[in-house]
Amino acid sequence: MAEYCRPAELGEALDLLAGGGWRILAGGTDLYPANAARDRLPGAVLDITGLDGLDGIGKQDGFWRIGAATRWSSLIGADLPPAFDGLKQAAAQIGAVQVQNMATIGGNLCNASPAADGVPVLLGLDARIEMASARGYREMPLAEFITGVRRTALAPDEIVTAVRIPDPGPAARSHFLKLGTRSYLVISIAMVHVMLIADPPGRVADARIAIGACSPVACRLSALERELIGHPFDTSLADRVREEHFAPLSPIDDVRATAAYRLEAAREMTRRAIAAIVAGGGRR
Amino acid sequence: MPTVTMTVNGKQVSADIDPRTLLADFIRVNLDLTGTHIGCDTSQCGACTILVNGDAVKSCTMLAVQADGAEVTTIEGLAENGEMHPMQAAFKEHHGLQCGFCTPGMVMSAIDLVKRHPNPDEATIREELDGNICRCTGYHNIVKAVKAAADATGG
Repeated sequence: MAEYCRPAELGEALDLLAGGGWRILAGGTDLYPANAARDRLPGAVLDITGLDGLDGIGKQDGFWRIGAATRWSSLIGADLPPAFDGLKQAAAQIGAVQVQNMATIGGNLCNASPAADGVPVLLGLDARIEMASARGYREMPLAEFITGVRRTALAPDEIVTAVRIPDPGPAARSHFLKLGTRSYLVISIAMVHVMLIADPPGRVADARIAIGACSPVACRLSALERELIGHPFDTSLADRVREEHFAPLSPIDDVRATAAYRLEAAREMTRRAIAAIVAGGGRR
Repeated sequence: MPTVTMTVNGKQVSADIDPRTLLADFIRVNLDLTGTHIGCDTSQCGACTILVNGDAVKSCTMLAVQADGAEVTTIEGLAENGEMHPMQAAFKEHHGLQCGFCTPGMVMSAIDLVKRHPNPDEATIREELDGNICRCTGYHNIVKAVKAAADATGG
């Protein structure tokens, strides 16, 4: 690592990036293990954790805005509506406390691991990614931002500045489940995030189901979402889940699990997450 | 080489260092505070846990330059006037260790835990210590020690 810079102003960081050759560092919890041998630490490092205004959570114009450098531990403790319960459940299962105290939501997305716990949650919340460069700001849906295994649409001169989430409303409920070989400190075999909105007569008005670690990029199960909408919001809802709804997934065999096991786990976890939301009552 | 300045255990320290120096190495090599252990070097085992501005972090997952201006507390900074910190005393009293390698990290994590959960039950303690691995598997007494320390400090 030839050079290290930790600017306080976004404009300074963007000017440096425009010059090229920088690797962005936020929480560092992916960067260091990936470069565990010290001499493989990357060339020039631009630390963005000192930037003013890059962390914090707020609501404006119908959108929740989570600063890219917001740490998972800050999210766990944040005062957010129940639509974000799944996000908090995911945050509490990323690494362990020490990692949650360092790792950032923006880093989780930029690292773009197929097993990133934040991705299925934020796909399910229809998150949009705000990026800045010396050329200006732009924004795109998360589904377009992550383009493949550890690949994103972020240009070399850009920084992710925030995650923006359209307010799902007070009736939205969510639940996140993660399966690993142990309960803690593991890379996910499969994750599911379910968000449901029940209308006053007790039917499903909106459903969003996202699965992680079962395809190169986490994905939504739109056929299942369509299946659930309009059905009674009761204990029969989880029974609507069928095998063909999981056709978009393409899990791999690896050291953690076989593809067939991942698929079966994803199906069962989806049923359980739906059942958990129904059991929670849907409306407060 | 950049200059890094931070407060470690209440004392300001400053050094010119290679920017790729990990905080764990800075503490152990530059400051000679070898109570912070390095177990896995990959952010898993938690032996290198310290407090940065009061929060538990794994010092092998942080560059020393990132801690510039920060308040750092290591296991050496817990005792006051020769008296062990209540968490250290509880680990001693309940024999919350076997070989002792994981102990500094366990104690630092446990202090962060009690700060956030002043009156933790056993399940909370076990869950919250998920980032610290005891290879001797001596968790039972560690959990007892954390509970006792929380009770003693008026949780």
